[in-house]
Order: sequence, then structure tokens, then C-alpha cells
Amino acid sequence: MTVLGGIGFASPWLLVALLALPVLWLILRAVPPAPIRRLFPAVTLLLGLRDEESVSDRTPWWLLLIRMLAVAAVIVGLAGPVLNPQRNVDGKGPLLILLDAGWAGASGWTQRMDLLDAQLTEAGRAGRPVAVMRLTAPEPPVFQSADIWRSRVPGIVPQPWQPGPDQIAAALGDIAEVATGFDTHWLSDGLEYEGRDRVLSAVSDRGTLTVFMSSAAVLGLRPASYVDGAVQLTVLRAAAGEERTQAVVALGPDPSGTVRVLERAEARLEAGETEAQLSLSLPTELRARISRFELEGQRSAGAVALTDDGLSRREVALFAGRQDREGLELLSPLHYLTQVLVPSADFVDGALLDVLPANPDVVVLSDVATLAPAERDALTEWVENGGLLLRFSGPRMAASDIGRDEADPLLPVRLRSGGRTVGGAMSWGEAKTLAPFAEGSPFFGLDIPAEVTVSTQVVAQPDPDLADRVIAALSDGTPLVTRKPLGLGQVVLFHVTADAEWSSLPLSGLFVEMLDRLAVSSGAKRPDAAALEGTIWNPLRVMDGFGELEDAGNQAGVEGGALVSAVLGPDLRPGIYGNEKRRIARNVLAPDTVLAPVAWPASVSVVGLEVEREQPLGGWLLSLALLLLAADIVASLALSGRLGQLRGALSAVLAVFLLSQDASAQATSEAERFALEATHELALAHVLTGNRSVDDVARAGLLGLSQTLLYRTSVEPAGPIGIDLERDELAFFPMLYWPVTPDQPAPSEEAYARLNTYLRLGGMILFDTRDADVARFGAGSPNGRKLQQLAAPLDIPPLEPVPRDHVLTRAFYLLQDFPGRHAGPDVWVEAAPMDAEQIEGMPFRNLNDGVTPVVIGGNDWAAAWAVDGQGRSLLPVGRGLAGERQRELAHRFGVNLVMHVLTGNYKSDQVHVPALLDRLGQ
Amino acid sequence: MSAPRVLRQRAEAQAETLPPLLARAEHLAGTVLLGDHGRRRAGLGDDFWQYRPAQAGDSRRMIDHRRSARGDVQYVREREWEIAQSVMLWVDQGASMRFASDKGYEIKADRARLIGLSVAILLVRAGERVGLTGTTLPPRRGNGQIHRLAEAWSRDAAADYAPPEHRAMIPHSRALFISDFLGDMQEVELALTKAADRGVKGVVLQVLDPSEESFPYRGRTIFESVGGSIRHETLKAGELRNRYLERLAERRDMLAALCRATGWQMGLHHTGESAQVALLWLWRALDGGTR
Repeated sequence: MTVLGGIGFASPWLLVALLALPVLWLILRAVPPAPIRRLFPAVTLLLGLRDEESVSDRTPWWLLLIRMLAVAAVIVGLAGPVLNPQRNVDGKGPLLILLDAGWAGASGWTQRMDLLDAQLTEAGRAGRPVAVMRLTAPEPPVFQSADIWRSRVPGIVPQPWQPGPDQIAAALGDIAEVATGFDTHWLSDGLEYEGRDRVLSAVSDRGTLTVFMSSAAVLGLRPASYVDGAVQLTVLRAAAGEERTQAVVALGPDPSGTVRVLERAEARLEAGETEAQLSLSLPTELRARISRFELEGQRSAGAVALTDDGLSRREVALFAGRQDREGLELLSPLHYLTQVLVPSADFVDGALLDVLPANPDVVVLSDVATLAPAERDALTEWVENGGLLLRFSGPRMAASDIGRDEADPLLPVRLRSGGRTVGGAMSWGEAKTLAPFAEGSPFFGLDIPAEVTVSTQVVAQPDPDLADRVIAALSDGTPLVTRKPLGLGQVVLFHVTADAEWSSLPLSGLFVEMLDRLAVSSGAKRPDAAALEGTIWNPLRVMDGFGELEDAGNQAGVEGGALVSAVLGPDLRPGIYGNEKRRIARNVLAPDTVLAPVAWPASVSVVGLEVEREQPLGGWLLSLALLLLAADIVASLALSGRLGQLRGALSAVLAVFLLSQDASAQATSEAERFALEATHELALAHVLTGNRSVDDVARAGLLGLSQTLLYRTSVEPAGPIGIDLERDELAFFPMLYWPVTPDQPAPSEEAYARLNTYLRLGGMILFDTRDADVARFGAGSPNGRKLQQLAAPLDIPPLEPVPRDHVLTRAFYLLQDFPGRHAGPDVWVEAAPMDAEQIEGMPFRNLNDGVTPVVIGGNDWAAAWAVDGQGRSLLPVGRGLAGERQRELAHRFGVNLVMHVLTGNYKSDQVHVPALLDRLGQ
Repeated sequence: MSAPRVLRQRAEAQAETLPPLLARAEHLAGTVLLGDHGRRRAGLGDDFWQYRPAQAGDSRRMIDHRRSARGDVQYVREREWEIAQSVMLWVDQGASMRFASDKGYEIKADRARLIGLSVAILLVRAGERVGLTGTTLPPRRGNGQIHRLAEAWSRDAAADYAPPEHRAMIPHSRALFISDFLGDMQEVELALTKAADRGVKGVVLQVLDPSEESFPYRGRTIFESVGGSIRHETLKAGELRNRYLERLAERRDMLAALCRATGWQMGLHHTGESAQVALLWLWRALDGGTR
């Protein structure tokens, strides 16, 4: 590839063609544009006028320039120009790409991966075998084709730890096993770590080493601590530099459970300083919700400080059996408890029944023997829901009969009456000391001071399950602390008092530690390794290199001491660890961590991370040429006055585009137009059957009925509307006239769904089989069979022939039969309910409410109603005056039907009975 | 297709063009009557002839409300004319008139016919006899003549430049020639001198397209007459402009000189302007002569 002025060309000799451009210019300039033909009546005046010059108008220079540029763009584009061409780096033979791949590199990971990809591409182009090795998770380097490695680039992720001694040792061993020499590219994270110099010397021995390192300093966040009522945060950077600020955000669930930023503060890193302190004073409630702090914009595990129980304070309710001894503060049974809990817990005051709904974490009952039944029930329920009930015994408990004969649910064990006194002035024997805590006890691992003695205690009954419930015992084996689970919670009983009367336990530091282990007080300070000795903590959520928490899966539990002090690695990942009661966060940075920048020896060449990507320009130039040619076409047409024709073509193309986009809009406006037409006035509607003559008669019939309604009633319908069941909305019409033809298509599923909705919402369909002259109602005729098919999917109630007292017979006119063009007797409507009884003295029954959803008949009513445009009847009905009478009755039926549809059972109302009786002549 | 059907179809196609032209001409003529209405203030008594009951076909504005208000019958006031004048019209039907340089402009022939018909309507309402020069349509009065005129003008002539029709001119009548006068000037001269010989006075209205006045062409161009009989090619149309305008002015001067010599009046109208301007001017020019 030849590079000219920062742009590489794949086939530079093509550029020679640019020399031909000036020649082309001259040629194009010499050729005159084609003549334009114009109609011009005044040409008679032009005859005989000669041109003064024999040279025609030349092509304008700007048009020539456009054409020249287009040709030049084609030539240059075909020459294959490439912006930022990659220069070949000298080197042959195998290449080892070494990645620190620790958390410190996670912030600029995409950049690193781009660089890795670029190096792999380059190595692939040079045909060098490549091996990629991560120092945080070393695997034996396998030298293979760069393409194979490229496919694996997305799978390479940073680990949330720095290369530790184990990994360094493994990496050194792997490197030593490589037989051939190789060059090394080391993508450093920029942080110093133990053993880096050994790796450096190992790879320097085998070939040239190039280090790639970002110039940006690594940032980290130390774990949050709670001091003096404020959360203390420390922002670290690896190298002291210019003054800068770094935002720290506190994330946690809001009341609805969504994780969001709860607090945001700026830490200022002074010039030359590598640390910045930040003190956040937050409300207790808010502080307890914070789940993590992170450095804004830094996407790495080291920029995250997870919080654990350390920031949350437990709520404790204290109750004592005797509290009203004024002035005896030091003798208060709660004094020592209060002293232990004040630094780390909030107290809830109030009566027991008032406190429990506030759901404290712990309820302490000191020498409370009996509880009211309501209190006992509430307390039991609270414990079963996960509460911790901590009881201390005392004289009252010893004197009471509680838990004497049968187990009390709120006591772990049964108690003997009276208790015992050892080592008192009046007793034999010495005061007892504590026995070492057994394995399995929550107190396992705690040191027992020698001065702790117990002189008086309550004694447990030797029940079969006693041994399981003892978590601390005296040297003679008598239980000192017993515990039993109750529901989700537990009940713990100290067999001594909470003050120093019965034992010196509350005076010792052991008391504090025991309460801590019981999670009564959870440390405002971090537990140290010794305090966690002997406990096992299960990982709940672990962090990846980017600082994101993920489910821990099946990772093994970690020993408490190691959790705090051991070096992070595959076996100990940063994250949240916990047991049933407590959670401990293991962060990437320890409270005393200092970030040290890496210092490379002068012999090693260090390169920045920035990659300039190759950018082929050929496609752009060819596109530019096309655009220029298009502009040339428009310009040439404009010059020769033919742009008008082009405009026509363009507008045609545009119209096609717009039409296609407009189609949906048109559909909606069509629906809207239909809705407007159907609703601006009441309109009768008929179903289009597809049979032209039937539809015409139906339309004419409804027109006639509309006119009759207009003349005779206050119903003034607009012109009738034909309904396409598949397309049109039915809800606008009070009734549908549906003439049945044997050959009409059945509606689709959707249409039936709409029809059923229409019927349920109070619509009415008048089915007309139009064959009452030849067939009685039923399946005997083709129309009848078709009607059965059509109506089968409809939601139609049971039917009956119109009873003599149906509201149709008196909705407007008093009618007894319903002739149309034919005078068949059978007209069917919704059946009356079974319990419709005729009341004595009433001419008709109280029938069903609402409108009958269907009226079915075969009298061809539309034909009887049908009128033409002048209002003359279209079709003959019967003969002579009898026929006219029949037509009149048909119209009356139509009026009654519409009235029934519009007014429902209004005329069925008994209020009208006297008037109707009068009319009926009874 | 049988002959009567073809004839019928053609007749209908022809008739289609008449109503719009007639309607527009009526409309245009109406604007002029409005202008004349106020002139009745002076010298009324001299011209009054009679009141006659309004008949079908009379426009409402012709009704004399002062007289009609006295009874239930509507009256039209008619004036007395000493002699009925004959006005002979000639509108160029040649192909050169069927030209508009832009969609926004009316075709010259249409404009000329519109103006001619409007004048004819006004003249007929004023009681004059109107006809075509030549033998096809001798002057008559009445609304029927308007229809015959419109029909006569719905036929295009095939020739590129039609010479003025100067035969059968009634002596001492009046005449109106509407054309673009881009054809042979000798024919025009012959027609005008012949008219002058017979004592016919009249008006010449030249109708031109704006492009014929401005010659906005550039570059290599072939100019063709509408009929295609004459063409002229130039390499630089822009260079011809000044010489073309000179020739146009020359021709107009020639026409004006001819008019002066024969006692005619000459007007100029561009299709880019409103037809009403030309009609008003024409009406005054003719009115002055007839009264």
C-alpha cells in the first residue's frame, strides 16, 4: 500500500488518469449543448437575422466543474484510498499478548479490546501465530492463528482482582513451558502488583516486549465506614496528577424497590494528592437503604464499595420486669445492654403491643416472667415472622412457674423452679466459669476471659432436646445460654440476669461479642478476622470485573477469617457474603489499600492505547461521484429548459410515495367519514347480500320506511345505509335489516364477533327470508336453510312466535299480524321468560326487558315498503284495496318495529294500560 | 360508428366550448355595464324612447326600478337610436394565435375570442347589429347572433398566419380587428385601406403573449411557428433580443401609421394582463364612434 499525504492507496497507479482531466475539460468545453426547440409565433420577425458570432454558447464553467469533480472522484475512488492506513510493525514469529485483565483495566476495557483486535488483525495479516494470556486467569499459552483468537475477543473479560501470587506463579510456569522464542505485547492495567517484575523478566528473555498502557490514572474507592454519624468515603487514584473532581454516587432501592441514585457527592482530588476524603451525612433511613457506592463514570470493580450491615442500624426494643426504681441507673437491668447497643442500634420505646407493629429487629425481655395472653400471642407471631427474642432471666423468672411443667413457646427450654446459687456467701462451691464454646455454637471461636464467673442462674430441665439448644454452658455443663428456633425467628435465653447481680458476664467484653454474634448488635465497625474466626460465610452476590453484581451460583462458602484478610482470587471473589443473620461485604479495595502506579524499566517501550482505525474512502468517493452526476443531470436539464418534464416525473414518483404512505391515513378517514354519515342522523341499515336486486329492494324498502316514519312519527331518519359486515362498524345503527338469499357468503369470524357484540349491546337484526308466499317458517326453503347457517354462530336467545301481548303489537300502532309483501303468519321474536305470568285483570303480561335481539320472518317487508325516488311504491302488494291495506299494515309493522327498537319495552309499561284498554274497547 | 353519432359527438364537443366562453364573455360584459350605469344622470331625456315590460332574457340590472315600483310589472327602459349601427368583427383564427408561453397565461386566440364576444354582447345589448367581416355571418341583432358568433369562433383555421377578412364590408359601418398582426403586413394594409375606401372606421387590437414582447430566450435555439411552416435556428438566442425588439417596434409603428392614415384606432393587449382592461378600452373606443 502506498501512502500519500496520510492516505494510503491500494492501486496508486490509477491516479495517473487524473492527468487526463484537463484534456477532458477542453473537449467538453468545445462541444456545444444541444439546441432547444421552441414554438414562437413571432418567428416571422426573426427571419433573416444572422448570428454575429458563429460560436454557440458554451457549457457553463460550473457545469464543467461538476463533471470534472465527478470524474476525479471516480478515479480517486477506484484507486482504493484508505484513511489511517496501518503501517506494518516489524516482527516475525510467535506473538504473546499478555493482558493484566484485572479490575483496574475494566474502565477502559472496550479500548483495550479494540487494541487487542487491532493487534490480532495485524498479526493475522503478517501470518504470525498468536497466544493471548490473562495474568488474572492464566492458561497455558497456545499459539494459533490470529483469526481464532479474534473470534474469542468478546469472551475476554476482566476479573475483579489483581494478579495474585498464585496466578503469577501459574503464569510463570506456563511461560517457561513455551519452547520457542516469542515477542510480547503486554496490555497493562497501569497498577503495580506483586510479581510483575518476575513476569517482566520472564517475557523479556524470550523476545522483544512492548507495553501498551492507558495514560489515564486508575481510580478506586475504599469501603465506606461509618464514623461520627457520617459515612466516610475515600477516593484513591494511582498517580498523583492535576486537580480533578470525581463524583461518587450512592445507589440503593427506593421505597418501591427500584435501584436508583440515592445520593451524589463530588470528591475533590487535589493536585499532587492521591486520596480524597468524602463525608456523607445521611438520614438513618436513607443510609440503611444504600447498597453500594460507586465512582460515577468508572466501570470497574475497584470503583465500587459494597455496603453490608455495617451501615444499617438495628432496631431494638428493651423491656425489663422492674424499671421504676428511680435513681438506681447503674442497677437498672438494662444498663449494660444499653451500653452495648448504643453505638450500633436504635432503641424503640413504648409498650410491647405498640412496639411490635413497628417490627423491631430484636426484642429484649429482661427478667420478664409472665406476659399477658395478647402480648404473648403478638410476640409469638412476631418471632415466627423472623424476630429475635432475647430473654434474660432474673429473680422473677426464677420465682415464676413459667415453663415449669410444659414447654413455653417463648422459652427455649423448660426451667426448674427456683434456680440455683453457686459460689455465694451461703453456698458451698465456687462461682462457675464458662466452658469453651462448642463447635456449632454461634459463639465458637470467641475467647473466654477468665474473670467471667456465674454465681446464680436458672436451670434448665434435662429434656431430650436440651443438648441441641445449648449454645453456651458453664464449666460444669449446665446450660448458660440456650436457643431454639421458632418459625422464622428464634428465642434465646440467657440463664443469668442482664445486670451484674448474678454473673460478671455483662461486665466483660465477651458479652459484647456474644451479642454481636447473635446479631443483636451488628458492628458499626468492620468485624476483624479474629471476630469471624471459625464462621463460614456463603457468597450471596459476587462482583465481576466491571463492578456488576451477579448471582453467586454454587460457589463454596468462605471461612470468616479469610473473608476479611485473604487475597482476592478465583476462590474469594468480591461481593456480598452472608449467613442467616448477617451480611458482610468483601470489597476489592481494603480500608488500607493504596493504589501504586506501575513503573516500567526504561528499556521497555510503552505505547498508548489509542487505535486509529483504518477507514476505506473508496465507497464514499464513488457515492460522491454518483451524487455529482445526478446534480449534473438536473443542472443540464435546467439549462436546456427541460426541467419541467423532469418535474412531472419527479412529482409522479413523489405521488407514488405519498400515496403509499397515505393509504392507512385514508383508511382511517374512510372509517371516520362512514361514522359521521351514520351518526349525524339516525339511519336505518340493511346488510348487503351481494345480490344486486335484493340489495336495491332492501334499500328502497328502508327508504320507504324512513319516509313513513318521517311523516307519521317523531323519528326522522336519514337515508338508509348499506352495511358491509366485514368492514363497517355496526354500533351506530339501532337495527339491521338482513334479507336472506341462498347464495350470500357467510360472514367471517371477526364479522360474527362484531355481530354478537352488536346483539349483546342492544342491537336488533330483522331477518327476512322473503319466501312466506311459498314456504312456512322453518328449514323447508333454501332461504330458511341459509338463515339457519347464517344465524348458527350468532348469540341468539330462545325464540317463539310473536305472542299476542308482545310489545311489538302495540309499540305505535295496535297490530295483530305483521304482513309484508306476503302475509305469512310466522314472525319469531325472543321467547318470553318462563315465569311471565298474566296478572289478573291485565290484558298482557309483563314480558322481558329490553329489545328482542332478532325478529325473524319471511314476509318480504322491504318489498312492501319499497318506494322509488318520487315516493311511489315500487312493487305491487296483493290486489286492489286489500293489497293497499296490506301495504299499510306492512308500514305500520315497520313503524312498530322501529319504535320498539328505539323505545324498548316502554309501551309494555303498565302505566299505559288504561289508555290501551280504552283503545282496545274493553 | 354511424355518421349521425359521430356528428352528434362532435357537435357536443363543440358545444362544450361554447357555454364557458359565453359565460365568461357575459361576465366580462357585465362589468362594463356596471360602469355605464351611472352615466344616465346627464341628458337622460334626450335618449329616452320607451318603457317596455321586461322579457325573459333581460338581465335584472336592465330593469328600471323607478318605473317598475309604480306597478306590479317590471319595466325596462329603452333608449332611442337614430340609426342602428352595424359592427363587423374579425378575430384572427390562425395557428399563430394558439400560443401561450407559460401555463399561467391564456392562449392568445382564447383571449381574442373572449374580448370579441364580450364586445359583441355589449353591442347587441346596446341595440347594434353585429356580424363577421366576410360573407359567413352578416350583421344582425339579437341574442341569437351571439351564439352564432361563438360558434363561428370555435373553429380554428389551419394556416399559420391568417390574413384579415376584408370582403363584404358594409359601407360606413364600423369594424373591429383582433389579431397578433405577426403575419404579412401587406394583407393588413390591403384590408385597412379597403375599409377606409368604403368609409368603414374601426379599431385594431393587437394581442401579444408577454414572451413575444420580452424575448426571454438564451442559448442555441430553433424557433418554430405554431403550424410548423417557418423555422429559424440561432446559436445564441440572447444576442438576437435587441434586434428582435427593434423589429417588433418597427411593425407596431407601421401598424400605427396605417391606422392614422385610415382613421382607425389601435390598441395593444397582452395576455398577461386582465381582459377587462382591453374590453373597457375597446368599449370606449367603439362607443365614442357610435354615439
